[in-house]
Amino acid sequence: MKSLKNHLSFIIPLFILLFSIQFATMLERGIKKYEAHLTGEYTIVCVSKLPLEQKVLKKIIPSIKSVKEIKKDKYIEKLKSDISKADLVYLRANLPKFYTLKLNSLPDKAALKNISEKLLKIKGITKVETFKKTFNKFHQFLKMSKMASVFFTIFIFIISFMLIVKQMEIWTLEHHRRMYIMGLFGAAFWMKSASLYKSVIIDALISAVLVAIIFLMLPNIANLNAIKTDLGIDLNNFNFIGDLSKLIIISLLISVVSVTTIILKQKNT
Amino acid sequence: MSNIIHAQNLVLSYKKNEPIIKNTNLIVKNKDFIFLTGKSGSGKSTFLKSLYGELGVESGELSVCGFNLKNITRAKLNLLRKHTGVIFQDYKLINEWNVERNVMLPLMIAGYSKEVCKMQAHKLLKHVKLSHKAEKMPMELSGGEQQRVAMARALAHNPTLIIADEPTGNLDDYSSEVIWNLLKSVRQHIGSTIIVATHRIPQTLDIDYKQYFLDEGTIYEVT
Repeated sequence: MKSLKNHLSFIIPLFILLFSIQFATMLERGIKKYEAHLTGEYTIVCVSKLPLEQKVLKKIIPSIKSVKEIKKDKYIEKLKSDISKADLVYLRANLPKFYTLKLNSLPDKAALKNISEKLLKIKGITKVETFKKTFNKFHQFLKMSKMASVFFTIFIFIISFMLIVKQMEIWTLEHHRRMYIMGLFGAAFWMKSASLYKSVIIDALISAVLVAIIFLMLPNIANLNAIKTDLGIDLNNFNFIGDLSKLIIISLLISVVSVTTIILKQKNT
Repeated sequence: MSNIIHAQNLVLSYKKNEPIIKNTNLIVKNKDFIFLTGKSGSGKSTFLKSLYGELGVESGELSVCGFNLKNITRAKLNLLRKHTGVIFQDYKLINEWNVERNVMLPLMIAGYSKEVCKMQAHKLLKHVKLSHKAEKMPMELSGGEQQRVAMARALAHNPTLIIADEPTGNLDDYSSEVIWNLLKSVRQHIGSTIIVATHRIPQTLDIDYKQYFLDEGTIYEVT
């Protein structure tokens, strides 16, 4: 019973720590994918009296991915029945050119302002529409979600790590007498600590596998498809082999480093 | 290696400038059986602790089984401890391990296979008349039985030097007799050097021995 309690006291904080890391990874991936999607959809519209060249614009604003002219013929065609032929000719000759600009990545508010200002300085451009109101709302929300997840992860990480270290101290004290007696008969450091490392490694593996199971089951527990449909953010992105390996490595690293630190600390005191 | 222990102007202390052992000289030869006597608090345990490196040498020289204990490295100390078998007054058994595993400890450290360790543990438990308690945990045994287990553990790896700190201090007559007889037999059959710190030397022990008396930090040979 005592042994089970001891193991749970180590597995639970480690599980929470790994869960927070995986949760942050999941959110980061979902948001990144969503950002990529938004970037693909996001367009800046420019009005220019002179023709614009992608090569020239890219030199001034490197984040521009493509520049496309909006063909105005079909809109002028629609006016055929309402205005005279002469007016149509005049309109065709004097109507400015319209361009859509796509970017490589989703810019923030400041970058967007900067792009807009640079565009307006280009000869011929009279108006730039960045749709910044709608765009900023989304962008701010995404940034806030990302930041909240990072803060949440750091906070959980610190608390869990402190709990792990405390538990290690308790374990080391419990093992101290045995390790001391083994030392009296000439046991090397690795031999004296072997059972402690064994316990820690087993618990680290259990924690990592538990987190992987939770994230595999997450689509059944939480309605992730609804989030995808409503917000367009895909959170069902757990990569079994890649993520499980990463969780195992992190789990082992944290456990082994903390137990080694505590053993060495006690050895030197 | 005719001198198993060689102490020269040895000073031992727990606190600087408060020596427990002062400028002591002692030579213990191979196969000697030594009784170290003295009053309580005279420093018998302190001296024995220095022999297996639990207490460092403050000044002077101390060599045990060919290892110079002054500024000894951890690796060398581990090696020395593989040549010694220590019996403590408080037994120092590992309570989470059963009797058999406790006896196997020095052999496991020496790197013997599990089968060899088990075989040797079984043989030694038979010698200390505890074969039937091999699976028991130390806390399930009486003090006398625990000391006999500790004795079996100290002998498991046929040590060159056996250090016993008041091995019968807390024991009944039967367990004391088993311990003394076993020490006598080890000296006769294995040829280990034995140093025992004790208040009183058993009268019935039929063996050649040397007696040293520790008083006010100095060791004197009793002739």
